[in-house]
Amino acid sequence: MTNSIEELSSADAIFIIGSNTSEQHPLIAMRIIEAVKKNNARLLIADPRKIPLTEFAEAYAPLTPGTNLAFINGMLNVIITEELIKEEFVNSRTEGFKEFKQSIIKYTPEAVSEITGVDADTIRTFARIYAKAQKGSIVYAMGITQHVTGTMNVSALANLAMLTGHIGRESTGVNPLRGQNNVQGACDMGALPNVLPGYQPLNDEKILEKFKSSWGEASNFGNGMTASQMMEEAAKGGIKSLYILGENPMVSDPDTQHVEEALSNLEFLVVQDIFMTETARFAHVILPATSYLEKDGTFTNTERRVQRVRKAIEPVGDSKADWEIICMLLKAFDCYAEYESPEEIMDEIRALIPSYAGITYNRIERVGLQWPCPDIMRPGTAFLHKDRFSRGLGRFSINEYRGPGEAVDEEFPLIMTTGRIQHHYHTGTMTRRSWALNREYPHGFIEINPFDAERFGVKSERKVKVTSRRGSLTTTAIITSKVKLGVVFMPFHFGEEAANKLTNRNFDPVSQIPELKVCAVKIEGVS
Amino acid sequence: MYLIKSDNLQALLDKWSQSFKLIVPANENGSVMFLPYEKDAFTMDYINPCMPAKEFLFEQKESLFNWKIDGTLHIMRSNTNKLEDRIIFGVRACDAYAAAYLDRFYIEEYRDTNYAERRENSYIVAVNCINPGKNCFCTSTGIGPFAKKGYDLSFTPLGEDYLVELGSQKGKKLIEPVKHLLTETSDYILAEKEVLQSIVEDKFIRTVNLLNMPYVMEATFDSGIWKEISKACIGCTGCTNVCPTCTCFNIVEEQPCYNEGCRVRCWDSCQSDSFTRNAGNHNPRNEISRVRYRIYDKLKYIEERFQYKGCTGCGRCIEVCPSLIDIIEIASKLKNEYKVGIENKRKKAGSFEICGSDHHERCEHIYTPQAAIIKDIIQETRDIKRFIVEYEDKTLHDNYKFMGQFFELTIFGVGEIAISIPFGPSQRDYFDFCVKKCGRVTNAMHELKAGDKLGLRGPFGKGFPYEEMKGRDILIIGSGVGLAPVRTMIVRIIENLKEFGKLVIIASATSYEGLVYKEDLIKWSDIEGVGVYYALSRHTDKVQAHVGYINDLLPNLDFDWKNSTSIICASPRRIKAVAKDLLSLGMEGKDILTSLETHMRCGIGKCGHCKVGNKYMCVDGPVFNYDEMLALPQEF
Repeated sequence: MTNSIEELSSADAIFIIGSNTSEQHPLIAMRIIEAVKKNNARLLIADPRKIPLTEFAEAYAPLTPGTNLAFINGMLNVIITEELIKEEFVNSRTEGFKEFKQSIIKYTPEAVSEITGVDADTIRTFARIYAKAQKGSIVYAMGITQHVTGTMNVSALANLAMLTGHIGRESTGVNPLRGQNNVQGACDMGALPNVLPGYQPLNDEKILEKFKSSWGEASNFGNGMTASQMMEEAAKGGIKSLYILGENPMVSDPDTQHVEEALSNLEFLVVQDIFMTETARFAHVILPATSYLEKDGTFTNTERRVQRVRKAIEPVGDSKADWEIICMLLKAFDCYAEYESPEEIMDEIRALIPSYAGITYNRIERVGLQWPCPDIMRPGTAFLHKDRFSRGLGRFSINEYRGPGEAVDEEFPLIMTTGRIQHHYHTGTMTRRSWALNREYPHGFIEINPFDAERFGVKSERKVKVTSRRGSLTTTAIITSKVKLGVVFMPFHFGEEAANKLTNRNFDPVSQIPELKVCAVKIEGVS
Repeated sequence: MYLIKSDNLQALLDKWSQSFKLIVPANENGSVMFLPYEKDAFTMDYINPCMPAKEFLFEQKESLFNWKIDGTLHIMRSNTNKLEDRIIFGVRACDAYAAAYLDRFYIEEYRDTNYAERRENSYIVAVNCINPGKNCFCTSTGIGPFAKKGYDLSFTPLGEDYLVELGSQKGKKLIEPVKHLLTETSDYILAEKEVLQSIVEDKFIRTVNLLNMPYVMEATFDSGIWKEISKACIGCTGCTNVCPTCTCFNIVEEQPCYNEGCRVRCWDSCQSDSFTRNAGNHNPRNEISRVRYRIYDKLKYIEERFQYKGCTGCGRCIEVCPSLIDIIEIASKLKNEYKVGIENKRKKAGSFEICGSDHHERCEHIYTPQAAIIKDIIQETRDIKRFIVEYEDKTLHDNYKFMGQFFELTIFGVGEIAISIPFGPSQRDYFDFCVKKCGRVTNAMHELKAGDKLGLRGPFGKGFPYEEMKGRDILIIGSGVGLAPVRTMIVRIIENLKEFGKLVIIASATSYEGLVYKEDLIKWSDIEGVGVYYALSRHTDKVQAHVGYINDLLPNLDFDWKNSTSIICASPRRIKAVAKDLLSLGMEGKDILTSLETHMRCGIGKCGHCKVGNKYMCVDGPVFNYDEMLALPQEF
């Protein structure tokens, strides 16, 4: 997030796109509800499903999955046409406006309406409310990133914020909500193929020197593969062995059949997790890790806040903390790994990552700090891009709309979109082991609009067979007008009826994120 | 009555901690919680610990019993060690009051063994508030700001001193070891305390007039407010988890090995959607009645039933709600609506009495079942089996006293279910139960064979009023497996047929094959004075049956309707359809009886799953007459 969670309470317009905030980030939704109820903030929601927060929204745009970019470009078009631009901001803080403006001309509300299924006036309303706000915030999540245009969708939101000057101030900004407690921290630590920890580039000699002096000359600083590429390569034989930590691609990656082929094709698979998973069943070696209750360390949350996690109980059985397992492995490979505690590792992080330099265990004993925090005298940063962007001027990008990687046809007439539900977390490795959470949703389901249900002979609470171009599965139908006509929704938590058996392997060309939000399916009642 | 210098408080706690386990308010990562006493973390600078003191009396998770099968079945209580004496110090008026309510709730009627034993060893020391929190409203509920109930000792800060008052005889045991730190004082000081109390009362920002709230709520049952709140509620269950008067629990099986396991109970929440969902996926509460139920329970049902305030006014549920649902705001809105005056559509709830707990004294521990063995299994229909069961300990049969309406059956490692009693008092040496396969436990039970073990707890529940039915014409209607709960009356009446008028039995099902007790029905039809009719959806060659509704048969029964009692066991919808016709034939609602066996779990009115309005189906029912049934909120 460019801004802090708390700041959302004081926003006066909040535009949510592709985030079921109250179910997936309830405490962030609480700030949004607070803003609406106590601050009269105007709430705008664009989502193919009528998510619970729409009850608080002033305007709702039920857009067709995969058309986010057209929608956002439509808003940009209205803001330009109706001269709602924050000119001072555009002139002093940005570049590339002219070319960008040219590129946006064709996205008139009427044209966009054709693509998205949202009426033109709703697009205008969204644009006007957001642009005219004093403090406009954008909130998004995987609903816009898991598309073939995922990267462009985010760039378009950045355009929106720059065009209206809703960035670099309190309660504004572009705020992606992270789907895991520490996915921000994992990225910060360099669990990405193309950057070093702290997003430091691989091509800067000075930076490479710094890392070499700490990690040794022999370290490999080449560009790596993304997770999706690894799975493709494993299937083709380009990768022989894989070490998976805390991931369950058999449930969370697209096209389960393909994942199974890829994993089976490996000569050596190591899986490190806290419970047995669908993926671990393919492993040659399983390394039992500890849960958050059994280890010390830090998590970096969605607002870039580095927070302490403390051991409450001793590790169960023979499990070990991830850092201990990794250190043991490093030593086994004759690499340096003389760390006594997570705090010692933190000291190294501080030395190597400038934005973490000021974050010590001592300082985050009670309350975490938000990076960038370049030295111990600074308080951390509540919101980013105050006076300048990381690259200096903010550059308007040109993001031409393209349709989703997979289209509906006569045989597969419905668009399936996938996501999470409130009581389960990701692949259910943890939540499906809790009676209280599992009792709420003991099995998967598919949501279908009443008209589609009638058209395809689907009965409420009955079994249905769902088929895509990859495979098919049986699940339970829930008939609800919360989903748009022509769209079905399926949660992906349930390994035994894994939604990802159906999803496709189209990827965003930049980030390689899979298009998990769009997949053409057909649905039939099972007697 | 004593005074203690504030400076001596630490010395007092040190002294106590030598002979008691001492729990105090303590700083923990920026918030204050009840934690074991440590000098450094202990604090007196707090509004209220974020979790109520309840968790020390009613634990979040605790074991009920362990079982093991190694040739024989062993059922053992898990923790028989003597509990340590504990002092919970720093409890506010709200939590102290809640403790008094919990005592009433868990110890009376059926004594909850786990709670009662722990409670005996716990001492509650209240510390009165001088500053309310931003969501405190105990002056509105009338239970604070100074503790009135539920404490053994209370401390009130008066200048440099604390006034120490005794709240119970038990409290004296705490005074003895610290007497050297206390100076005695007399009643004059109470005037000072009173002045302080009114100063504190004036500091409350949040107030609401809760006078007559149960009546107000009776009239606003269908208010639009409930729908509005239901849209905001995300079902996180935070409100019930922080509530000092929430008592519900779920019973969960833990089984580390195939031949041994443990039954535990965990806090449960009526705010989770699946709280009332039953095996057949039927859920009597929807998202609206779910949120409404919590507020009703707190402001109406508990008070009506137990004469205790269900809401102490601690404000924790407001603090914790991510959707800003605010019980004070709701109560004020309801009050306003009431002024406008909405007519109450639902019939007013009748008075009720809590049925006695005289039975079930045979179990030393209320949640521990008795071992029983399956003697025989009869396949009644495609999905209904009849299990003939005997206690392992035969003397239990000798001492068995016929009563109640159901038993709790345990399938070890799978779970426990309530199954109605289909037999009469003359059947003493063995029991039999009709079980339809529809959920996890019943599925597992259908896998069992003769010789397998199960557990029995009971009998529980209020049965049919047999004595009151004498001298009357009797109509008994059972639909599908619903014939099982009424069979007990059929066999009792047939054994004493002279004492009754006519007896007519109507058995109903989709097909003849779907009926239970087919042989019994034929046998009964041969008895003089007994009429047996069938109402089936499909034709059969086996018996003479009416193809159609139960209702079609009623007008032709030559009954003295004014002097008749009828018993119906079917779905609530079918019960209503049949009752409507019976009423028009001249029967009165009080003479139409039914058994409402909805989602019962513990069987003794503690776990909260079967609570409908202010009634517990398992102890106030499951037998209700039709008038009583209509007076309940239609959430069963």
